[in-house]
Amino acid sequence: MDNALIAGLLVFALFAILGSGVWIGLALTGVGWISMALFTARPAGDAMSLTIWGSSSSWTLTALPLFVWMGEILFRTRLSQDMFSGLAPWMNRLPGRLLHTNVLGCTIFAAVSGSSAATCATVGKMTLPELRRRGYPDSIVIGTLAGAGTLGLLIPPSLIMIVYGVSADVSITRLFAAGVMPGLLVAGLMMGYIGVWALFNRKNVPQAEAGMSFKRKLAASGSLIPVVLLILGVLGSIYSGLATATEAAGVGVVGSLILSAVQGSLNRDSFMAALMGATRLFCMIALILAGAAFLTLSMGYLGLPRQLAEWIGSLGLSPLALLASLMLFYIALGCFLDGISLIVLTMGVVLPIIQVAGIDPLWFGIFVVLVVEMAQITPPVGFNLFVLQGMTGKSLLWVACAALPMFLLLMVAVFLIYWFPGIVTWLPNKVMG
Amino acid sequence: MRRLLNLLYDGAGYAAAVCMVLTLLAVMANIVDRFVPMPFRGLDAYAGYAMAGAGFLALAHTLKRGEHIRVTLVMGLVGPRARRALDLWSLACATVLSGALAWFSIRLVANSIAFHDISTGNDATPLWIPQLTMAIGTTVFCIAFLDELVLRLRGVEAAAASDEPLHME
Repeated sequence: MDNALIAGLLVFALFAILGSGVWIGLALTGVGWISMALFTARPAGDAMSLTIWGSSSSWTLTALPLFVWMGEILFRTRLSQDMFSGLAPWMNRLPGRLLHTNVLGCTIFAAVSGSSAATCATVGKMTLPELRRRGYPDSIVIGTLAGAGTLGLLIPPSLIMIVYGVSADVSITRLFAAGVMPGLLVAGLMMGYIGVWALFNRKNVPQAEAGMSFKRKLAASGSLIPVVLLILGVLGSIYSGLATATEAAGVGVVGSLILSAVQGSLNRDSFMAALMGATRLFCMIALILAGAAFLTLSMGYLGLPRQLAEWIGSLGLSPLALLASLMLFYIALGCFLDGISLIVLTMGVVLPIIQVAGIDPLWFGIFVVLVVEMAQITPPVGFNLFVLQGMTGKSLLWVACAALPMFLLLMVAVFLIYWFPGIVTWLPNKVMG
Repeated sequence: MRRLLNLLYDGAGYAAAVCMVLTLLAVMANIVDRFVPMPFRGLDAYAGYAMAGAGFLALAHTLKRGEHIRVTLVMGLVGPRARRALDLWSLACATVLSGALAWFSIRLVANSIAFHDISTGNDATPLWIPQLTMAIGTTVFCIAFLDELVLRLRGVEAAAASDEPLHME
C-alpha cells in the first residue's frame, strides 16, 4: 500500500481512538499495534512488551518520578504563604503592585517544581485569596497566574524537559540550563505587561499598603530562605557537576522532606498523601510514555518519520516558515492534548524534520517547551485552566480569555528566541562548554 | 468479591509506593557511593527497576481513582445514550489492550527465564525478577478494566474523577 495512505489511515485511527475517550497511553499502544501488525512482518506483541519494559526502566527517566514527588511534598507545605509574605512588601512601589507576586512567586516556585499545574496551584493557593481580598480585578489576577504558572515547565527542573530529553536524546542537564534565560525573559515580559496594564488602569489598582522600613522588609523576606536553600541544593548540585539530574531530584525530595519537617507540616498523613499522590501522577505519565515508546518504534519500522522528513525537506521551507508552521501545528494539537502526550506523540516524526532542516535539538527543546506552555492555557484542554477553574469557580472559557494576553506574550517569547538564539544557548555553553 | 478486588488494586498501589521509595533510596545510595563505596554495583539499574515497578504496579489504583487521562471532549458534547456507548466502547478497547499488554508481559518474563536473560549493566540482575512487576501490574490493570466494564454494563456509574486538579503535569 502507498505510504501516504498508510500514514493518513494511522492518523485517522489515532484521532478516532483518542477522541472516543480511550485512555491516552492505551490509545497510543493500540495504534502502534495496528500499524505494526497490519503493515510489517514483525511480531507486534513481543516487540511491544520489550520496548515498553526498556523505556519504563531506563535510568535517565528516574528523575521524573522524583521531581513529581518533590512537587507533591512542597504543595503540602506552608511554602506558598511564606513566599507571599516574603515578596509582597517589595512590590508596593511597582506599577501593578502586588500583582507581581503572582509572576515572581511562580518564577521562584518554578525553580523547585517541574510542573506547570502544580506551580499554578501552589502559588495560587496564597496569592488568589490575598489579591482578591485586597480588591485587585479578577481577570488580571487569574490571567497572570495562569500564564506565570506555565513557567514551571520552562524554569528548571522541568518534567517536560525530562520527557523531551529522553525522547530526543538531548542532555537533560543542558536543557535545564537552556531554560533559565528564556524563563526569566518570559517572567520579565509578564511583569512588563502587568506594569503597562497598571498604568492604563490606575483606578483598578488598589492603594499601596502602609510602607515598611527597609529593615522590616528584609526581615519579612527571611521567610524566603528555605525555598532559596532548596533551589540552591537542587540546581546547584546539577550545575556544579556534582550530581546528575536524577541525583539532584533525589536531593530535592530529601530537601523538601526536611523543609516540611522544619516547618512542622510533615506528619504520617501528609507524607503518605504526597507519596500516593506522586505515585499516581507518575503512573499516569508512565502509561503515556509507555504507549508512546511503542508507537514510535512501530512508526520507525514503517519508515514514516523519515519519509515525512524527506518530503518536508523537499518543500524547501525556510527555517522561519518551518518553525512557524510547527508552532501553529502544536498550538492546534495543544488545544486537545496535554503537554507530555503532545511531545511524545510528535517527537518521532518531528525530530527527523528538525535534523534535516539543521535546527539545533537543544534550541528546539526550548521552543517546544514554550509551545507546550501555550497549550497549558488554551481551551478546551489546558491543565492550568482546569486548576484555576477548580480554584476560582469561573468557567473554563472565562479563565482562558483572562489568560489570552499571557498566551500572546509566550508567542512573543518564541519569536524572540528565534531572532536571538543566544538567549537559549548562552548559558548551557557557558556552564558546560 | 468487591472487597477482594479493592484490596488487590490498593495493595498493588501501596507496593508501587514502596517502589517509589526504593527508587529514591537507590538514587541516594548512588550519591553516597561517590564518597563511601557501596557494597553492590549497578545502583542506577536498580533505580530504573524500582521506577518501572512504581509505574506498573500503580496502574489499576490510578485508574480507579480516575487519574489516568483521556480525551473527554466528545463525550461531553454528545447525549447520554451516545456517551454510554462511547464509554462502553473505550472500556472494551482498554480491556483488550491491557489484556494484550498483560499477556505479552507474562511472555516476556517467561522468555527471560527460558533464555537466562541477564542485565547488560553492572548489576547483572536476572531480568525476569524486575520484569515481574510489569507482568503483575498490567494483569491487575486488565482485571480493573474488566471490573469497570462489568460494573458499567450493570449500570453502575464511574467514580468521579479526582477532585485534586493538581495531579496533572
